[in-house]
Amino acid sequence: MSSSGESAVAPWSPVATWVVRGLGIAAAVALAATVWLGLWVTPPDQVQHNLVRLVYVHPPIAWVALYLAFGVAAVSSALWLWPRTRSRFWDRLAASAVEVGTVFTALTLVTGSIWGRPTWGLWWTWDARLTSTALLLVLLLGYLAVRRVPADPDSRARRCAVVALVAAVDVPIVHFSVDWWHTLHQGATVLNANLSPTIHGSMAWTLLLGFVAFTLLFAWMLAIRYRVEVLSEHVQDTELDVALHERWAEGTDPVPAEPGGALV
Amino acid sequence: MSYIDAGYAIAFGVLAAYAALLWRRRQRLERSASRPQGHSAP
Repeated sequence: MSSSGESAVAPWSPVATWVVRGLGIAAAVALAATVWLGLWVTPPDQVQHNLVRLVYVHPPIAWVALYLAFGVAAVSSALWLWPRTRSRFWDRLAASAVEVGTVFTALTLVTGSIWGRPTWGLWWTWDARLTSTALLLVLLLGYLAVRRVPADPDSRARRCAVVALVAAVDVPIVHFSVDWWHTLHQGATVLNANLSPTIHGSMAWTLLLGFVAFTLLFAWMLAIRYRVEVLSEHVQDTELDVALHERWAEGTDPVPAEPGGALV
Repeated sequence: MSYIDAGYAIAFGVLAAYAALLWRRRQRLERSASRPQGHSAP
């Protein structure tokens, strides 16, 4: 809680400001290049024809949702639970990664569904990959719900860290679901068992650029979201301080005398 | 609108909207946090 003399949270350092600004500009440029290459430069696929253009967007979004966002959330939560490394930094970072990851996970399902309709003839099916990804979205929403339950910061951080680690069990299930259960979703294009991508030439480079672009975007969003977390904690603490001081002042006000009588 | 157009429009539209929302939240909180204590808006 902030003391009554403290007036503002420290602003970002000049280096941090430039790093975040650089990440934002690099992400915007890389995303624009991915769209340009994906929609106008790369050739249609022999099998999927023009629908392959959705592949430059869907797997990179899934990469951010499953591996980056959830990786950051799970590692940060573990580091918060570990007494030697416990720090508010890890709790804030996990919460920030989960919120950004929730947006990317929802988009993974939506873009996959848009690709699945013309390819499979279905918007949705209870395929192992799709179902485990939908479960992950539910778990992420559960984390965000637990985060909103009123509690002191340490209790809230502990609950959220446990939820994040429980939810992390689903990530390897999502990844290996296409190998464990041979349902409708095809196998991995890049991160397969042999680590030999099944996509080549300009299509492979565009897909790679998509991975880089969405990774940069995730890093930028994570930095901004982390700052929002720090600022909102500070504002809440300050408001609580003001409220407590007002209550204290009310309690120490002299009691007014009753008309014609003595002080009660 | 083709499936490809819809996929790109939804993906980039949602991400742009979320990025704008984050940016606005940060700006609003930066203003609140820089306000001297005890002078918060009613």
